[in-house]
Amino acid sequence: MASSTGQSQLNLLQGTLDLLILKALAPGELHGLGVSRRIEQITKGAFQVKPGSLFPALHRLEEAGWLSSTWGESENRRKAKFYQLTKAGRRQLETETEEWQRISLAIGLALRTT
Amino acid sequence: MSWRARAAQAASAWRNLFRRSRVERDLDAEMKGYVDMLTDEHVRAGMPASEARRAALLATGGVEQVKEQVRDVKMGVFLQTLWQDARYATRVLVKNPGFSAAAILTLMLGIGATTAIFSVVDGVLFRPLPYADADRLAAIFLKFTPQNMARGPLSMADALDVLANCRSFQEIGLFQNGRLDLAAGGASGTGDATGTSSSAPAEQISGFFATPSFFSVLGVRPILGRTFLPGEDAPNGARLIILSEGLWRRRYQADASIVGKTITANSLSYTIVGVMPANFTTSSPEVEYWGNLWMTPPTRRGPFFLRTVGRLRPGVTLEQAQAEASALGRRIEQGAPRDYSNLDLPVVPLREVFVGDARPALMVMFAAVGVVLLIATVNVANLLLVRGSSRGREIAVRLSLGASRGRLIRQLLTESLLLSLLGAAGGIALAYAGLELLRATNPGTIPRIGDVRLDMRVLMFTAAVSLMTGILFGLAPALQSVRSDLTRSLRDGGRSMTSGAARRRMHAALVVAEIALSLMLLIGAGLLLRSFFLLQHVEAGFQTSPTELVTMRVSPNRARLTRQPNNQFDEAATLRYYERLLERVRQIPGVQSVALAEALPPNRSSWNDSFVIEGQDPIEAKSNPSVVIPTVDTGYFRALGIPVRRGRVFTERDTPESTRVTVISEEMARRYFAGRDPIGQKIKVSGPGLPNNPRYEVIGVVGDVKYSGLQDDHAPVYYRAQGQAPNMRMFLVVRSALGARVVPTVRREIQAVDGEAIVNQVETMEEALAESIAGPRFRMLLIVVFASVALMLAATGIYGVMAYSVAQRTHEMGLRFALGAARGDVLRLVMGQAARLAVAGIGLGLIGSLLLTRWMSTLLFGVEPTDPTTFAAVATGLAAIALIASALPARRAMRIDPIVALRQE
Repeated sequence: MASSTGQSQLNLLQGTLDLLILKALAPGELHGLGVSRRIEQITKGAFQVKPGSLFPALHRLEEAGWLSSTWGESENRRKAKFYQLTKAGRRQLETETEEWQRISLAIGLALRTT
Repeated sequence: MSWRARAAQAASAWRNLFRRSRVERDLDAEMKGYVDMLTDEHVRAGMPASEARRAALLATGGVEQVKEQVRDVKMGVFLQTLWQDARYATRVLVKNPGFSAAAILTLMLGIGATTAIFSVVDGVLFRPLPYADADRLAAIFLKFTPQNMARGPLSMADALDVLANCRSFQEIGLFQNGRLDLAAGGASGTGDATGTSSSAPAEQISGFFATPSFFSVLGVRPILGRTFLPGEDAPNGARLIILSEGLWRRRYQADASIVGKTITANSLSYTIVGVMPANFTTSSPEVEYWGNLWMTPPTRRGPFFLRTVGRLRPGVTLEQAQAEASALGRRIEQGAPRDYSNLDLPVVPLREVFVGDARPALMVMFAAVGVVLLIATVNVANLLLVRGSSRGREIAVRLSLGASRGRLIRQLLTESLLLSLLGAAGGIALAYAGLELLRATNPGTIPRIGDVRLDMRVLMFTAAVSLMTGILFGLAPALQSVRSDLTRSLRDGGRSMTSGAARRRMHAALVVAEIALSLMLLIGAGLLLRSFFLLQHVEAGFQTSPTELVTMRVSPNRARLTRQPNNQFDEAATLRYYERLLERVRQIPGVQSVALAEALPPNRSSWNDSFVIEGQDPIEAKSNPSVVIPTVDTGYFRALGIPVRRGRVFTERDTPESTRVTVISEEMARRYFAGRDPIGQKIKVSGPGLPNNPRYEVIGVVGDVKYSGLQDDHAPVYYRAQGQAPNMRMFLVVRSALGARVVPTVRREIQAVDGEAIVNQVETMEEALAESIAGPRFRMLLIVVFASVALMLAATGIYGVMAYSVAQRTHEMGLRFALGAARGDVLRLVMGQAARLAVAGIGLGLIGSLLLTRWMSTLLFGVEPTDPTTFAAVATGLAAIALIASALPARRAMRIDPIVALRQE
């Protein structure tokens, strides 16, 4: 995973990527490139997800039952696989968002104390 | 590399080897789409087309790597779910111990039995022989009238003809059976100051006398020393011997310097030249030595005692070799028309020689055990169906929560496979125990038993079988479980998922299959049982009680029976020797009579030859069969209680100086002296080609006795007097009410006459009779065991299904009772259902049996493969058992309290 803020971002976990993918698909279905662009967009350019990380994650999420996929056509009439959130996926997004917020709150508190 | 990555590698290798799966094609398409869209973006941003594509590929970072990573993830997920499924399956099995135990036990029986029998079939029929390039080896036999043996031995003259003319073979070795009486002690070497240091007693060993080519044909190297060199088969040369590894270890303490030492055997000195490895004789473990065969030039066509083993020339087929041999046979017959007619030289592949006879029995066993496995599989399938129905609600809930059907089916299959593997593990232990038992009791009917092992090949087979059975019994119930209308089943509490008509039909079909399969196996067992029973009661022909007859083989110290300087056989000395021996044994208290014989019932005969009756038409004489010609003493007929029908038997007056006499059997009299008095007629030994053979005058006719096994029809036999034609080695027959208890005293008396005599093959006649039918007994027992297991499984299967059916329909039956049905009606309903299943199963089973039992006919004695009595009896028995098995649940159905039933959900 490459990012403009450097190597440290590489250590961000698989779990974070999962969360971002789920969030990116919340509004509606997207194909692989679309997910990557959306993540870039919603993180204001902080994360540019390469296919080497993106596709394994997409397939893993699909195997886990949080995404489902269908074949369709892109804007330029290219054949593409579109991913959408399943019901379970939506629930998972909620859960993970809460979890993330809890953790970041706790870490923030910890870091603020001198 | 992690094992997961290794697995992924293996999987992709598999994929690359075979057609690309849909998943692969999808992945290709997805990546192509991605790269195309990225290219489009670049083009839209103003890059020229070719550069856009290159930039896109660069940005992607290698399409193939991405695909690999996706595959890796997929494999990881697959393995993870497999592990999850396995753990879940284990929990499920542990939570239902009764069910699990029943299923695993059933599978243990089925898979264990199949493994055991497969290892025997593999060892005997499939495993290659322990010789170099064994598929190129074949044996040449002799077949002619009157000898009438399908694969008979050759004479020295025949062998010389074969060696000179059979160009299809690059080399042919000769060998003959032999027994050596080893003197007490070990091997002595030149320069051994103390001579022998071993205290091994005198013993008799079996083995072969063989030519040097015998070893080069088989191509096995000795572990010590050498095999015979060309020229060492010259007559009257040095006597050489090669030991088997077993003998070398057991008797000579694996002496590393044994080569060159000498041993005394048959009162002659043999020099040891080598030791052969143990795997040389796994197919014939009784062979412990090889002496050098002397190719003594023959003076006439017979006798027939040599066997051959040859290596086909490269590129020559068996058919070509056979054509050449048959042509040779015709030429030999033309050259010696008085000795042979219908002469042929069958060429048989070596493997066939070892196992040919056993194949039908083994195939029947394999089929039988296959049936047991099938029944076990059906039982477990039924068990799973029943248990599946009780999980209906759980499955409905999971489906509604979004689990995919495929995933659920995979999980259920994992449970089945786990059961199967556990059953296989137990089955392998069972098979191991079974094989050890087999080796310990070895009835001698299984050739190459040394090659029967539970090794990797067999374990692979077991793994494959358990995988197959797991899928077989697991798939249908799994599919059944997830295929239903969700909403309906959630509403009615999972019941409609469980009592669907399709499920009932499946139960019924499985039960019918079980009944049909068990019937076939039971009929097979029944036929073998009857055969064995008839065999056991065959009259051997003598009237003395078998428990009162003890027999043993006496091999005297040859030095006493031979004259020097040429080791010539001393007839007079032999007669005196045995007279003294008999005299002493007669004195033993409790001994009623003693006798000597060179052949004994039921199946211990050594010498066959044909004969001519003086005055018989020569053409007719050529087709006289080859018969057993036992040499017996004066006390033989009385000791065994063989009735004398006419004339007299041998007495002390029949000496080497008086007229040669013979006693013939009733069958002989019937066939060759019909209508006239045989007394006074003359019989000549051997075929018409030997006009100057000794003539024997018939002095009496005795009752028929079997010498070639209880299964053999009465064959004509004629006896010679031991007093006129003594043998060195004889059987001693002792008749005593003490039975086997008299043996130690008899041995002492024999040792008193001759300290170096070897006494072996000691047994009562009762034991000998039992041993002669050991093969049929073993086969019968094995199939009866399988049939009993099958019956037990089928009965529990029927009971289970009927009980389940009644439990499921409790509600319905309660309703019927509430609406006024009589108890008897419900009983009739249930029993009627059971009866229909039984009839269908038995019907199918009978048809199957009629078609298949003909393959068993070589194993049967006295019964036809379609024997109606057996068929009827077994069918009736099974029907009765099926009805009893369903009677219990039926009774329970009768007693249903309608109020309780209706309240039940």
